[in-house]
Amino acid sequence: MNFYKAQNNIDKSCEFDENLYLLRQLDFFSDLPLETIKIFAYLCIRETYTRDDYLFQQNIDDGKAFYIISGHVKLICNDEKEEQLIRIYEKGVFLGGLALVGKIPRLFSLKALTKAVCLTITREKFLKAVRQLPELMPNVFQSIVESIYTSERVFFYKHAKNCQYCKQKTILTFL
Amino acid sequence: MKNKSFSILNKSLFSWSFSGQIKLQIILVLIICITVFIRVIPLEMQKRIVNEAIKLRNADLLLIYSGIYFVSIVFAGILKYLSNICQTIISQRALSNMRKDFYDHILTLPVTFFRTTSPGMVVTTLINELASAGEYAGIAIAVPITSILSLLVFFIYLIYLNSTLGLVSLVIYPVVIFLIPFLQKKASAANRKRMDITRNLSNKITESIAGIHEIQANGAFAIETFKFNKIVDKLYKIRIKWNLFKFSIKASNNFFNNLSPFIIFIIGGYLSINGRLELGVLVVFLSVQEKLFDPWKELIEYYQTYQDALVRYKKAIEYFDEDPFGVLEPAGRDPYIFNGKLEVKDLSFATDDGVILLDKINFSINPGEHLAIIGFSGSGKSTLIHCINKLYKYTGGHVYIDGKEVKDLSIKDVALNIGFVSQTPYLFDATIKENLLYSYMSDKISCLESLGNCPTLDDLVKVLQETDMFIDVLHFGLNTILSSEKYHDLISVIVAIRNKFIRLYGDNLSDYVEFFDETKYQYNCSIYENLVFGVPNQKAPNEKGMDDRAFFINFLNETGLTKPLEELGIALATQVVNILKNLPYEGIFFEQSPISYDEFEEYKLLVDQIKKSDHKVTSIQQKKILELALRFTPGKHKVIALSDNIEKMILKGRKLFRNKVITGAPGRFSFYKISDYLYSQSILNNIIFGKVKDINPFAKQKITQHIVQLFVEEDILERIIEIGMEFTVGSKGEKLSGGQRQKIAIARIILKDPGYLIMDEATSSLDNKSQARIQNLINSKKGKVTIISVVHRLNIIKNFDKIAVMKASKIVEMGTYKELIANKGILYELLQSSK
Repeated sequence: MNFYKAQNNIDKSCEFDENLYLLRQLDFFSDLPLETIKIFAYLCIRETYTRDDYLFQQNIDDGKAFYIISGHVKLICNDEKEEQLIRIYEKGVFLGGLALVGKIPRLFSLKALTKAVCLTITREKFLKAVRQLPELMPNVFQSIVESIYTSERVFFYKHAKNCQYCKQKTILTFL
Repeated sequence: MKNKSFSILNKSLFSWSFSGQIKLQIILVLIICITVFIRVIPLEMQKRIVNEAIKLRNADLLLIYSGIYFVSIVFAGILKYLSNICQTIISQRALSNMRKDFYDHILTLPVTFFRTTSPGMVVTTLINELASAGEYAGIAIAVPITSILSLLVFFIYLIYLNSTLGLVSLVIYPVVIFLIPFLQKKASAANRKRMDITRNLSNKITESIAGIHEIQANGAFAIETFKFNKIVDKLYKIRIKWNLFKFSIKASNNFFNNLSPFIIFIIGGYLSINGRLELGVLVVFLSVQEKLFDPWKELIEYYQTYQDALVRYKKAIEYFDEDPFGVLEPAGRDPYIFNGKLEVKDLSFATDDGVILLDKINFSINPGEHLAIIGFSGSGKSTLIHCINKLYKYTGGHVYIDGKEVKDLSIKDVALNIGFVSQTPYLFDATIKENLLYSYMSDKISCLESLGNCPTLDDLVKVLQETDMFIDVLHFGLNTILSSEKYHDLISVIVAIRNKFIRLYGDNLSDYVEFFDETKYQYNCSIYENLVFGVPNQKAPNEKGMDDRAFFINFLNETGLTKPLEELGIALATQVVNILKNLPYEGIFFEQSPISYDEFEEYKLLVDQIKKSDHKVTSIQQKKILELALRFTPGKHKVIALSDNIEKMILKGRKLFRNKVITGAPGRFSFYKISDYLYSQSILNNIIFGKVKDINPFAKQKITQHIVQLFVEEDILERIIEIGMEFTVGSKGEKLSGGQRQKIAIARIILKDPGYLIMDEATSSLDNKSQARIQNLINSKKGKVTIISVVHRLNIIKNFDKIAVMKASKIVEMGTYKELIANKGILYELLQSSK
């Protein structure tokens, strides 16, 4: 509780405190010192999307990461003819961490299925903050490497078990 | 302007004095001749007054000679004034001609020249260095004629008075004539060095300003300061040296001039004592020595000015000693209008160092065909199109348009037929409209001079729509604050649209807009705005200047808000300082902060002091703290929460403030009323009558869609676009995004409507939607406009008639999309690897 709250007996929590609480729950940030997470909690912005709003669009490098606070969003792939649903995400999911460290156009689109509130941070803010706090880089890289490794491990053992072609394509962790 | 550029490089400094000013120079010489002879009259009168009037004690003669003396000095004064006027006109005319001609010449220099030349050097040369050359032009004839003639007349007169003493008084001049040029030579050498170092300094400054992002991002202040200081120190030393030589010239000159009366006293006195010289003549000799000083001084100064101007002028010529990239206008014919095919035969381009960037390129495209050039980085794509567009002089082979060799064409032939859009287009610091008309006006002087022949508003709107710039311009229009004088007819229409907007869409848009409501706290407004709930009509207290006004202080004290706001301000400052203290002072980190980056140090210190004093604040500290609290906007600054208690106090305060204004300061504020236009607010804010919540990236887009619908119904959409086109884009278009800059660059070429269009990755910064729109536009030009486009996105090349793939300075494959895919060559591989 900060000084102002103590002085004024405020029970209202501010958005910054709520953001701080949420970020401390995320693997991507949880290992960082509290003072550093505070910076990211401050730099994050809450965005509210209504149904059918795009959070990000295929082939576009929006350079943003999202944490879904409430609502449902769908990951879709638009080919030339139609929209293919890949999966649905709900609150508590952190998406797009990779976009924070480098330019990548999205392979998919993320669209709001219901009204959704997300905590977002842009690559520009993230990288500029990291540049000032270089001690963060090992954590950031470790976090990214771990998520790539976990994804590929799950894919290899769970889904590619009976598919020779899929096995041949699991090469991300060799990169 | 025809071929004029070439002559500038051969023009002597002296010639600027005569160029178009011969009549004025003749008048000046006449005035000078009369002046010089008039200047002898007072000397003769001096002699006669002493030798005749005084000696003979004749008062009449005294009056006559004194009268003539007086009239002659009045005349001499008037003539001197007239000659100064003539010199000023000549000098300023020469300077402006010089600047105009140099500027014309610089604009036509090849692009390669500007790659190695800093803008700072060009600015310094045009503004400073040429100024002394212009100054010289004014005195080039006048001063030497005046001085030499004066000296000559005085010497003849002295020899006429007494030949021995006359010759003695000339003794010192040979010494001076040898010494002064010697010193001046040294001064000129130092001056040349000074100019070179100044040029380095100007390059350094330009480089630092251009690369300020890198410097700040790397914290490289020490490196930059070290480099800068090194040059400044060099400049300091050479300037001292230069000035020392200049002062030596002045000092020697003064010494010799003071020496001449001494010689006259010694020799003249001796002759006079021996009765070989009349007293009146000795007086005249002494007087002339004084008078000789002026023309002699002027002559020496002239010599210095000439040497200085010559050094600067020669350096300026040396800096810009390059041939223009072509003849400006065709000789003896109208510019060509091409409509034939474009052929490239054995085209080669090598740099001065011999690096081959294009190696025997061959292709041809028919009129109206579209060619895409793709390839690896550094393969020569941009060099190729720069050669076709005559921006580079190709070193081998041929480029033919409609059978005419490009390198033989005049610049006007090329500009009239070929439109060029670069990857990083340059926008001028002007309005969107002026930038749109730039290419169009380049060959339509009547439009430039507002004499007609300009595109209509419909033409401009059409091109904005075609290039997907319409909505951007609409936003600029919506964000404009209208002046009541210029747009008085729009005011009532906008208020009517506001009412309709709230009535029709208020409920639907309540997630995106916080509408003004007198009974509610506005979370997207600052505390100050919540209290005032209106706008000042004149210079009235605001959150910055509020402590200067007893009115607002009294109000805060009366409502009991001072203490709670002070506590809020301290909490806010403490929290922001605590979070941001380890971050650099960059704008991006302060977007969500009520403290700006330039105030941060001040507030950091303030927080520290308040903490040490156990939260007791001085009146100065209170001022800063209240200022911060009053700008606190809960919907934007999320680092602390606003208590319900303060909210209630502010709502109560809002009513009290209104009453206080109505009774104590009527007319000073306009309060938010649904029926009144808010003159301090933009068109958008007037229509939505509230604040857009900063929670949805699409909020403004959705609101705009509804507003556009109402604009169409009220028939003012084009009017708002017209207002939007008055938006000033800033230096190099810095107020626009990269995509917007590219869209305007494409729009201005489309408006020009050339027969041939060359694009160098012209859509690289566009999003998919804009890219698609531009691609449709390009497709619509098939069969009408011949297009060569360097393309970076492979997904759009299908639409081109031909595709050329470049690698290592050569075209390695070329054909239709189908042919190249069927061949399974490089394009095929590139497409496969990008999947």
